[in-house]
Amino acid sequence: MNLEMKRREFLKVMGWTGAGLAVAACDRPSFITSREGRNHVVSYLEPEEFAIPGVGVTYASTCQQCPSACGVNARVREGRVLKLEGNLNSPLNKGKLCAVGQASLQNHYNPDRITKPRVRRDGRLVEIGWDDALALLREKIGPDAGLNGKRFAWMTDTISGHQAVLVDALMESLGSNNHYVYEPINSAVWRAVCRDMLGDENPRLGIEKARVVLSFGADFLSTWGGAVSGSARYAEFRNAPRGVLIAAESKMTQTGANADLWVPVRPGSEGVLALGIANVLASSHGRDLSALPASVRAQIDAHDAAKVAGITGTSEEHIKRIAELLHERSPSLVLAGASAEGHEHGYDSVAAAMTLNLILGNVGRTIESSAGFPFPQLRARSGNGRSVIDFAQALEEKRFDVVFFKGVNPAFTAPAALRLNELLAGGPFKVALTQFEDETTLLADLVLPLYSSLEDWGTHVPSIQPERNFISIQQPVMEPLYPETRGFGDLVLSLLHMRGDKDYAGYEDYYAYLQHAFVALPADVKNSVTKGVGGDAAFWSAVMQQGVLEFNTATPAALVAKPVAFEVQAAAAEGNGYFLLPSANPNLWDGRHANLPWIQELPDTISKAVWDSWAEIHPKTAAKLGDVKTGDVLRIASEHGTLEVRAFVYRGMHPDAIAIPVGQGHTAYGRYAKGRGVNPYAILATAQDRKTGEPAHHMTRVNASVIRRADVTWNNGSGMDRLVVQGGSSTQVGRKLVVTVSADQFERTEGGRA
Amino acid sequence: MNNLNTNAALTPEQEKDINEDIRWAKINEDVLHSMESPRGAYWLSIIVCLALLSLAVIAEIHQYLYGLGEANLNWPHMWGLYIATFIFWIGMSHSGTLLSAILHIIHADWRKPIYRFAEAMTTFTLLTAMLFPVIHLGRVWNMYWVLPYFSDRGIWPNFRSPLLWDAFAISTYLTSSALFLFMGSIPDLAIVRDSARGWRKKLYAVLALGWRGDDRQWRNFRVAYLVLACFLIPLAVSVHSIVASDFAMSIMPGWHITSFPPYFVAGALYSGCAGIITLFVLLRYFFRFEAYMTIPILEKTCKLTFAIGMVWTYLTFIEFASVWYGHNAVDKELLLSKFSGPYSIWFWQMLFCGSVLPFMLAVERFRRSIPIMFVVSILLNYGMWLERWMIVAPTLSQGYEPFAFHVIFPSWVQWFIVAGSFGWFGLLFLIFVKVIPSVSMYEVKEMIYHRRHLAHKDLSTVMHSRSASAGGNAAAAADPRRTPGTPGLEGA
Amino acid sequence: MSLQNIIENWSSYRKGAEQGGHHNYEHLWGMVIDLNKCTGCGACVTACYAENNLAVVGHEKYSRNLGMNWLRIERYWDEPDLGEESVAEYQHHGASFLPMHCQHCSSATCEPVCPVAATYHTPDGLNAQVYNRCVGSRYCSNNCPYRLRYFNFYSYYEESWPAPLHMQLNPDLTVRDKGVMEKCTFCVQRIRTAKDTARRERRKVRDGEFTTACAQTCPTSAMTFGDLLTLHTPGGGVGETEAASLWKKHQVELGKSRQQKQNPELRGYRVFEGLNTDPRVLFLERVREV
Repeated sequence: MNLEMKRREFLKVMGWTGAGLAVAACDRPSFITSREGRNHVVSYLEPEEFAIPGVGVTYASTCQQCPSACGVNARVREGRVLKLEGNLNSPLNKGKLCAVGQASLQNHYNPDRITKPRVRRDGRLVEIGWDDALALLREKIGPDAGLNGKRFAWMTDTISGHQAVLVDALMESLGSNNHYVYEPINSAVWRAVCRDMLGDENPRLGIEKARVVLSFGADFLSTWGGAVSGSARYAEFRNAPRGVLIAAESKMTQTGANADLWVPVRPGSEGVLALGIANVLASSHGRDLSALPASVRAQIDAHDAAKVAGITGTSEEHIKRIAELLHERSPSLVLAGASAEGHEHGYDSVAAAMTLNLILGNVGRTIESSAGFPFPQLRARSGNGRSVIDFAQALEEKRFDVVFFKGVNPAFTAPAALRLNELLAGGPFKVALTQFEDETTLLADLVLPLYSSLEDWGTHVPSIQPERNFISIQQPVMEPLYPETRGFGDLVLSLLHMRGDKDYAGYEDYYAYLQHAFVALPADVKNSVTKGVGGDAAFWSAVMQQGVLEFNTATPAALVAKPVAFEVQAAAAEGNGYFLLPSANPNLWDGRHANLPWIQELPDTISKAVWDSWAEIHPKTAAKLGDVKTGDVLRIASEHGTLEVRAFVYRGMHPDAIAIPVGQGHTAYGRYAKGRGVNPYAILATAQDRKTGEPAHHMTRVNASVIRRADVTWNNGSGMDRLVVQGGSSTQVGRKLVVTVSADQFERTEGGRA
Repeated sequence: MNNLNTNAALTPEQEKDINEDIRWAKINEDVLHSMESPRGAYWLSIIVCLALLSLAVIAEIHQYLYGLGEANLNWPHMWGLYIATFIFWIGMSHSGTLLSAILHIIHADWRKPIYRFAEAMTTFTLLTAMLFPVIHLGRVWNMYWVLPYFSDRGIWPNFRSPLLWDAFAISTYLTSSALFLFMGSIPDLAIVRDSARGWRKKLYAVLALGWRGDDRQWRNFRVAYLVLACFLIPLAVSVHSIVASDFAMSIMPGWHITSFPPYFVAGALYSGCAGIITLFVLLRYFFRFEAYMTIPILEKTCKLTFAIGMVWTYLTFIEFASVWYGHNAVDKELLLSKFSGPYSIWFWQMLFCGSVLPFMLAVERFRRSIPIMFVVSILLNYGMWLERWMIVAPTLSQGYEPFAFHVIFPSWVQWFIVAGSFGWFGLLFLIFVKVIPSVSMYEVKEMIYHRRHLAHKDLSTVMHSRSASAGGNAAAAADPRRTPGTPGLEGA
Repeated sequence: MSLQNIIENWSSYRKGAEQGGHHNYEHLWGMVIDLNKCTGCGACVTACYAENNLAVVGHEKYSRNLGMNWLRIERYWDEPDLGEESVAEYQHHGASFLPMHCQHCSSATCEPVCPVAATYHTPDGLNAQVYNRCVGSRYCSNNCPYRLRYFNFYSYYEESWPAPLHMQLNPDLTVRDKGVMEKCTFCVQRIRTAKDTARRERRKVRDGEFTTACAQTCPTSAMTFGDLLTLHTPGGGVGETEAASLWKKHQVELGKSRQQKQNPELRGYRVFEGLNTDPRVLFLERVREV
């Protein structure tokens, strides 16, 4: 093995032959060095051993569709990547993959990718060469540009691993600390509460160990904390002895749809419900509250079940039942997600939920400390929603001359009330590192096309590490489709070169840097992989084959719970219109997957709608609005704007809430996304959580009215005047399709119970 | 129309099936006249039919180019109007067999003036019906794979599939009925030959197969005709039973019904009879066949239609009843949804047209009114067409799988093709009336001959002649009032 | 099917499923889907699109029910087994999800009705669809009580895979053109590959050596795919697969339209079993704490 090989050569070999140095677990494992492969293009008439036409080869890499960083195995045949599957070596997803992960392929092969750098001339984006693009960048941020580092900002999505190191290095070289890590769908408030109450921002959540899980809108099966790992833990949780899942939400999430008990909560009153449950735990089940601050105890005392039922809309009987289950079946786990977080008092609500964990003694049992990741510089910079508000604030104050965007689309996901588009339009020099012509890219002055995640190198450190700490490796699985696109790491490295940074001058490209970084790892790490056989080359190729590098870390210290004081409130009283819930879409995510046709055509879990937006309402709300049926067009107006969207009526909503999934309503972003559905971000208020400053996305009040009725009886072919949903009947009409049995019966036949 | 006054009492002369005093030369003259140079109305009809047909051609080209989705067929509505209309046309084909074969062997002689066009209707409706399975195929260009031809790969069609049985049954039925039509026309074609000139003479000389009307020919003709008639009757019954099997052999609610074969046959005879009434009125009007297509014959046809209509009604309710006491929840659900679901508008129309409207036929006043019968007969067929649609579509919209419940309305492509099938049939029929005598001259003469003797109470002669005619002696040979100077008649 | 075959095997045709069908099966591929674990996420659906070259039809065509999803997740709101509770004001037990793909029935109703025998039972026990042979009469789909057959009402290859999306197409199977019926094949191309590999290596196909795209990706591992043959030939050949042992564990037997379980509380059931289609997909009942 030749570790000094040049990355370009490497990729040439890869591209010509469909394989390379970094051959992972394959159908037919084989290896070739660059020197062997460089001199000839492989003909199918005389195929190399590793490029047998008709036989697939598998490469390990990392999925980049959401911040989870699941490991994938990419099946490559004849130089084309055909299919992604979960990488069994990844302790995170253990060989499994979700729908959007599967659809990475369409990200890679998307017909709307940007293939050449573009620059804004006379108001229009025109294609230029990389030399010109880099010259322009040198002009703006080069050593001679005279840029004050404080006037440089970078907005990225969640970033980790060596990319984060390089970005930090570049920021340092520029003297800037304006790195905004923006994730519209996040659990920042939860993390803040965990930090404050447990001293660990990303504790391990042992869903599989719990016998009861109570979720206040934490959709751990799709958008909260990693869909695939959450689902795997859920599957284990459902094995005998079977855990009970309770969801208290104002809009049924995918997790709620799988709950044993789903109870509606008036938006914003999750904290009150938590207090009510705590009250019953203390009063009826004798749980000890003495460890809690007096103010919290007082609040719990003040909220008996009857009162809480009045505020939250959850029935008293259900509150008592939930408390009973939590008390009887231990350990349990209480989680809180977007719907609890998204209010001005979101922190308090989440803290109230976390307090339940304390009361129930879950800390240390189902909530455990995350083992310290040995390389802090590689840790994930987890995104939050506040950064976009701060960013808009800074723009307003005209604090930046140059801003970079990577992996984010704030022009689409930021509430229109922030006026981000306006601020950007007249503001700094904007550079978009992107694959697609999304809303933010259209505002940019310079567009630098990136490799797709299947063409690029990278290392990723999931923010929530499973039982073992690990780095997930991202490696190219095929030759770049477009010669004039570049890898993210390469690009940052070349900017560092441009800045004349000494530390990184020795690395010709990102591949060289990565390889060096791995080879430079401590010997015990390397030996744990190679078992002492073979040198650095063997280590490197083993890591590439496995796709992950695990670390043996010491058992983490136990978590020490320290209750915090908080002041739970219910949201404002009735009469101010409905709460608009911009619900996180499991598949479209924050809208970044709206350009994937498979995802657009994948029916939503709850509504089964495709290719569109919809507004979820409770039948009571529908009756109040005038006998609204699924498919009728509603006009939904907040003080910041109006949306017209078709209704979806079902009983998984609180009657005071209207939920519109985010992700649609793009005005750009390619043929599959553009002009489809509505974007609820556009009409959100700009309120913030009082403690963390996170956007309070769930407290926008709206009015709704019917403006058009759907034609539902007959589909006359042109039949677009309806909400397009998969499936006819939403009931089983008495047939034996899905049979439901009681958990008791399950336990009798498959579990521990006799 | 000829008889606009519905209340007019018929004279004793008009009460007869046919006027026995018509001269034979007059018969030839009238019938041959109908084959002469077409008038404006004929060309207008041709234009209308061609226009309808061209609609279908446009629709079919569109569908061929873009796909069956353009017809608003979808999941789960894999079949639609094509199959419904296919069954409808197959049903229509039963009329000819009923009149020419069944009534022939039971010696109902009033059928004689009207059986020829009914038989033609059989052939042409089959030719129309056969278009539909072809049009509806996803890959039309491979349709011959349904046929059991010898392939060097040893690939055969699936002999278990009712669709394959269809292919066999219909092609057999078409061949037999075309043969029956042609054979029955030979004596008349000879008459045409004898009076025709120019190229027509040559054409009819070929078509008449050297018919001279001698004793031996008549004898052989009679036997062959009878044999073919006997062969055709079970065939007709089996054809529609097999079409019914397409549904009855399936597993779907609303299709998997044991009584479907007789139900389909009854429906077929019903719509066929109604079709005869419609064409009866049209031919009588356009070709002035009042002397042959008389009100009493219309009445007899109407009574027959009414009887069959009642059989159909009975079988319809039997179907409902069997669903009801069958206690299959899914079947019941479908039945109820036919009455109240999205298809209920059509379903009620079907029940009205199929079961209530025929009572008009039971009333003499209406029966004798040609305009009323014209309208009623069309409505009856409308009801029968709806019946076929109501068999095909509701089951598809609501089967076992609730997730597949769905209703879709056929698009213009389907409607155009359905309309075009009427144009196609009309065109074939219009050509037919100019090529083959639409009233059987020789059988009308036979009928008159028998009637005349019956009227004169000359029973022994009648009986003698009947047996004689069955034995092959032509009526012409015994005619006492043979008109001199019409040598062409010798052939009849 | 040939005429000779029919004549020679007439009696076994007539007996059908009750005697395990008329094939001497090499394999009997089947599946188990645990509804206690299925979360309705749809990963399997997208995996199926990726593996099997399923066309994306777009909004307008989807509105006309022309979607080509071989695998669909049915979502129902009612819970007939829970009685009154399921019509409460709120959806207190969540939704009911049912992943449905071709049930590969042992006595499949689609098979006898195809006029050209384009759908038939393979010696692997698969309900196969021969695209090349299909003429598009759509009778099979009409006679499928599960409605799991999808027809190409249009040609989708141009609009569904604009360049370079077409580079993703799986070369192990075709892209179907208009006029052809298609449906879940249990990833027959993977079965093929596994069998070829096994034969090359002179061994039998091992359980877990491969699986279908849907079962492979399922984040909760709710699907188990495997050979059920051991149900028919105990102790024979290949040993008991995981799928087969689940069938056995839940006391569901092939070839029966009504199961007589020793323990009626076991969760295994088959959809529309009473129709005697003898489906090869075993569902394990959904569980709720009530």
